[in-house]
Amino acid sequence: MIDALFNWFDERLGISGSGRKMLNKIFPDHWSFLIGEIALYSFIVLLGTGVFLTLYFVPSSKEVIYEGSYAPLRGQPVSEAFASTLNLSFAVRGGLLMRQMHHWSANIFVGSIVVHMLRIFFTGAFRKPRELNWIVGSTLLILAIFNGFLGYSLPDDLVSGTGIRISFSIVESIPLIGSYAAFFLFGGNFPGNAIIPRFFILHVLVLPAVIVGLLSAHLGMLVRQKHTQFPGRGNTPRNVVGAPLWPTFVAKTTGFMFLTVAVTGVLSAFFQINPVWLYGPYVPYKVSYAVQPDWYMGWLDGALRIMPSWEIVGFGHMIPNVFFPAILLPGITFGVLQMWPFIEARLTHDHAEHQILDRPRDRPKRTAFGAAVFSFYFVLFGASATDVLANYLSISLNVVLTSFRFLAIAVPLIVFPVTYRICKEMQSVPTAGKRKRANVVLRSAEGGYSTVRAEERPGDAVPRVDPLPLDEDLQFVPVMAGVLAGGDVLAEETQPESPAEVDSDRPRSGIFRIPRNYR
Amino acid sequence: MTASHALLRRALLSFALLVSASFVGTFLLGGGRAEVSGSGSSNGVNAASLTSQDSPATGSPLAAGRTLFVQNCSSCHGIDASGGNRAPPLLGVGGATVDLWLSSGWMPLAEPTAEPERKPARFDRTEVLEIVRYVTSLAPSFGNPGIPFGLDISHANVAEGFSMFALNCAPCHTITGAGDALADGIQAPPLHGVTKTMVWEAVRTGPGNMPRFGPGTLSSAQVVDIVGYVVKNIQHPFSPGGLSLGGVGPVAEGFVGLFVGVGACLLAALWVGDRTENEEEGGEQDGDDGHDGPESADGHEDGLGGDDHRELEHA
Repeated sequence: MIDALFNWFDERLGISGSGRKMLNKIFPDHWSFLIGEIALYSFIVLLGTGVFLTLYFVPSSKEVIYEGSYAPLRGQPVSEAFASTLNLSFAVRGGLLMRQMHHWSANIFVGSIVVHMLRIFFTGAFRKPRELNWIVGSTLLILAIFNGFLGYSLPDDLVSGTGIRISFSIVESIPLIGSYAAFFLFGGNFPGNAIIPRFFILHVLVLPAVIVGLLSAHLGMLVRQKHTQFPGRGNTPRNVVGAPLWPTFVAKTTGFMFLTVAVTGVLSAFFQINPVWLYGPYVPYKVSYAVQPDWYMGWLDGALRIMPSWEIVGFGHMIPNVFFPAILLPGITFGVLQMWPFIEARLTHDHAEHQILDRPRDRPKRTAFGAAVFSFYFVLFGASATDVLANYLSISLNVVLTSFRFLAIAVPLIVFPVTYRICKEMQSVPTAGKRKRANVVLRSAEGGYSTVRAEERPGDAVPRVDPLPLDEDLQFVPVMAGVLAGGDVLAEETQPESPAEVDSDRPRSGIFRIPRNYR
Repeated sequence: MTASHALLRRALLSFALLVSASFVGTFLLGGGRAEVSGSGSSNGVNAASLTSQDSPATGSPLAAGRTLFVQNCSSCHGIDASGGNRAPPLLGVGGATVDLWLSSGWMPLAEPTAEPERKPARFDRTEVLEIVRYVTSLAPSFGNPGIPFGLDISHANVAEGFSMFALNCAPCHTITGAGDALADGIQAPPLHGVTKTMVWEAVRTGPGNMPRFGPGTLSSAQVVDIVGYVVKNIQHPFSPGGLSLGGVGPVAEGFVGLFVGVGACLLAALWVGDRTENEEEGGEQDGDDGHDGPESADGHEDGLGGDDHRELEHA
């Protein structure tokens, strides 16, 4: 039945050749290579829940009298966007769960992109030939952050409205073009009534479309260039060692998708997020204390909070203070981020191709630099909660604010040498991070003591020789065959030349090694 | 009633009280029955309530309050409540102020130099009322409000209250009433665990750094609406959707999203993905795909540690 279906398609589209190659695609397997997939599957959750939300959300600033079920707002003038958000939360079956899934998923989406990026950075996976994919990936991060902000603003509640107000001022602070840009983006002066519909169409159409496009390019480049792999026995720059797409990797990644969705679902079911009905509608002359943006904008908010009130005046014009933390800082951040592969290549004069990943400890300067920069943004993120921290720690807000100014400078300066030192120490101990091989102390009948090494166990730091020197022109050589492979799995096995001729009954689970230039 | 009418009444009343106070001030200590003040005239709360609840158990209705005042308050506020180096005078502050500061546990201070902080009240309700009665008997309180006995919030318009709360209260107390730190160690306290009387008194008297919202700013109906919103909706929020994360805004949500959400996904990745770098233990682990069986536990350190064969690769 399935064969017949495949044949039907194959006879018309001729997909068997490329499809077979695709199914045979080898993916190196390491848990850290799955981090990007968290982002991918969160994005799928975002698309699914987002479509549901658009069925009920009304992207309009038009003022209506709220007549819904939430008593403390009944009879109050609210925007249609806010009213429909409350309606989809309270009156639509499963609506609140969907909204919470959408929001939690957004948090996980951006979070996993950041963690994924850290993995790429610290293992040097961005180096030639993957600079282009790094740029695409970091663009995706920027788009994800922006789209998160847009979506967060859509309910038009008191907290997010304050955020829009701040972003309006941030745009205004750009020298020369600020006020024009702000009026252009917001359709006139703040608040106006163009913000919600504009943000909506950017949030649900424009940015998702760009993200989908870049995501496809991201994955396409990954497939084209083959995945990097950690150094290991038999892993060379010229081969790829791992499990084939079908069935091993598909099984894994599908299971992982379910796990990611499950985590999102559990979070959404048990942890409340953004209870906008408690915040009430946004009214420009109302404001609440203790408001922050979502965490991925938190570092910007923190930078705004702790920026000293310097203003630069020149040629009769003042550069507004807001410009430095809110435009210049992210500009430098994202600029350096995108250009990092080239910056590093310039600094290290390393222009060679790299298919094998670095251990972070082996690149102490890069690791220390990355850790220091990351700690800087983490401090800024903490600074977005100055008031909450002051409240919980019962210390003066002014003390907290001043402390963060020092921390933002001091913490990176401390983190850099400490990380560098740790890397160096780990380098000098070849078995660092490994379980040591145990020694057994024996007492002889005469009373003397002797030491013998314990039996070797998996994971013991014992050097072993590579048991499988392989010719790299072989197309499929099982290194670690699966259970179904049968026979002497360690024997070198020559496969038919063309993948199309591979017997379809032959199991393709297990760990394989193929030449990297194999297409 | 029109504004000018109210003003006139208050002025007349204040004048009358001033005159009478100057005449009978000395007798009040001896046992004259205190009128609370002119609070009721403009904010609709029955000012005579205090008097009506007066139940002198002992000989003098003010004796018990006086004793408590002398024992607990007079060392700072002065034996005649006229203030001292450390503390302001209490003459004419009105019953609401005295009640609020005592009921919230702000007063008496833990020590003379301490900042007032919310703690269990030292006095029970009867004792608080005794002290209030005594202090308000010392001087007329010129429009400063008395205790809003019989405050009825059952008909409060919480929607109006929410709106007024967002406008007047949320900028310091936060929109969820969680409270927050203001500049220079000043704190806007959380609004949970306070009674409707205390909320009313705080709005009308403006304790500490809080502004005072007098009848010219908020009508008595608006205050009742705000009190209704605080007691009904801030203290018992309609909060579906799971555990609320402290009501302190998205920073708490961000931490949960990162450490619980992304963290759980990373643990799932650790579980699903290989922790050894494609390097099973050669022939020893035949048929083991590396994700189950005894290898997993051992492989854990290995994988996190990362490369176990680097030396070989470069040997």
